[in-house]
Amino acid sequence: MSGGALLALAVALAAAGEGASAETGAGAKPPSRIVSINPSLTAMLLALGAGDALVGVDDYSARQNPELAELPRVGGLHDTSLEAIVALAPDLVVLVPSLEQRDVRERLAELGIAQLALDPTSFDDVLGAIEALGRRAGREDAARTRVAAIRRAREERQRESAGRPRLRGVLVLTRDPLYVVGGGSFIDEMLAIVGVENLGRTLDGSYPRASLEWLVAARPELVLDAGGDAAAARAFWSRWPSLPAVRDGRVVAIPEGVATLPGPWLDRGLETLAQAIASPPTYRRQPTLGDDEP
Amino acid sequence: MKVLTARRVAAVLATLSLLLAAALLLGLASGPSGLDASEVARALAGGGASDAAADIVLRIRLPRVVLAALVGAALAVAGVLFQALLRNPLADPYILGVSGGAALGGILVLAGGSALGLSYAAVPFAAFAGSLVTLALLYTVGGRGSRLDPTTLLLTGVVFNAFASAAIVFAASLAGLVEGARIFLWLIGNLSALRGDVTAAVAAFLLVGLACAIPLARGLNLLVLGEESAAQLGVDVRRLRRVILVGTSLMVGAAVAAAGLVGFVGLIVPHVLRLALGPDHRLLVPASALAGAAFLVLCDTAARTLLPGRELPVGAITALAGGPLFLVLLRRQRARIFAP
Repeated sequence: MSGGALLALAVALAAAGEGASAETGAGAKPPSRIVSINPSLTAMLLALGAGDALVGVDDYSARQNPELAELPRVGGLHDTSLEAIVALAPDLVVLVPSLEQRDVRERLAELGIAQLALDPTSFDDVLGAIEALGRRAGREDAARTRVAAIRRAREERQRESAGRPRLRGVLVLTRDPLYVVGGGSFIDEMLAIVGVENLGRTLDGSYPRASLEWLVAARPELVLDAGGDAAAARAFWSRWPSLPAVRDGRVVAIPEGVATLPGPWLDRGLETLAQAIASPPTYRRQPTLGDDEP
Repeated sequence: MKVLTARRVAAVLATLSLLLAAALLLGLASGPSGLDASEVARALAGGGASDAAADIVLRIRLPRVVLAALVGAALAVAGVLFQALLRNPLADPYILGVSGGAALGGILVLAGGSALGLSYAAVPFAAFAGSLVTLALLYTVGGRGSRLDPTTLLLTGVVFNAFASAAIVFAASLAGLVEGARIFLWLIGNLSALRGDVTAAVAAFLLVGLACAIPLARGLNLLVLGEESAAQLGVDVRRLRRVILVGTSLMVGAAVAAAGLVGFVGLIVPHVLRLALGPDHRLLVPASALAGAAFLVLCDTAARTLLPGRELPVGAITALAGGPLFLVLLRRQRARIFAP
């Protein structure tokens, strides 16, 4: 350990009592040194205008947000570096209490570093997380505005889709290995809002691994492909013309991170999904995967 | 030991062929979508089935059971050959590190290939290169002049395997989420990637390997007596060894490229057959090919159907089925040896 990091560790340990009280203390000063180790929470902080308080992020957050490229990184989901976090002397660490980061969470608590654990699993969880981050980062107004916009978008899309027949669809996260969206996640709820009957609900888990045979047998009328790489996607789906979605040209690319990140832009995610399933004339103008088949 | 007659060879191979055919039919008829038998039959006959049913049977299940059969055959034959060559019942491509070397080669391309401009299609070739490099290493360290010391070879393999595993974990931890998931599945062994070119490569390499191995079966029988005795009986030991090592790494490289690290097939199939059929390699080599194929087809069918709609990695099934079976066999064999 370098001398500087050792010093930072000592400072962090000395500040432990203060940090703990800051977590519970109402009306305390908003944190000025935040470390985020989850890309969704990073995106929320940026959207709420609290990006200046970020002093360190995880690798994925840094890759997703060019404006954070210069910030110190503290590792990824499975290899978060406790030492790197401590060395940044944060007054708040924001994280998702996932299995992977449970150890980090316990060690942070031992070291007395204030943390805010938020779990954006369901649609309302995401809204709750935006509000909680807003309260904590002193950006309550921004959070309220953002959540209101998302709620409005949800009601609007629900009204729109209410009269239409439901489309039997599947949202593919990665093609090889094949992972799809199952029940119980915010994406599943968003699919329901825009009028898609999510066939992935019949599988176990929120993001289950599926087999190609299951997919072909499920006969989806709509395939939303969030797997990236348009050329590879085209080649992949064109091999399965018996899928109603492929036959009817209803295979649509979903840009990575827009509809699949439980972040601050669920209204944009809903818009992306709604456009993807809109009637064919509208849909033809979308970046489709089946258009230039020979 | 039973005498090997042409009639007995024919009877055993015919029985095993029937077993393989039954396994293939079962694999074609079962799957998570629950098509009924008549629809499967119509799809196979080429008419009357719905498009989806035809796709499922002919384009999803058929390539997969064929690949499982080829990979199973290649691994089982490689296991028989390694065990004869090293005169050690524990030798198999997995334990000798040849599988690990192949996996390392493939995974380096999976994890860092895009940076080097290599596509997913380069993986099988990298796996083959990995198994050849491992073999060269085993040869350099384990060889003593013109001789090959089985114990040193086995130890080198075990150590290299540990090294390869560590390097793979290192590469996987640097890779992205999707590549990481692919690497994880590959490490356990899985047959869900349907790639025609890879299947063709496995088939070609398997045929080359079998073509090398079957004419050498008599030499292998004598090799069991030890390298010097075999040489005195007129076997060109160096040539035999070279042909077998290159042939097996071809088979293993192709099998690993197609299916990842499927364990236990090369260990348990030859063992069961040796117990049932005796040690004559003229029968063991072709019998291992057929039984290995049937075994992996059955394991993969279980992997596809145990949990509805989801796929388990086939390597988990072979290990779960193979591990306990191997221990039972070992115990029975000991009981036989120590029986009064």
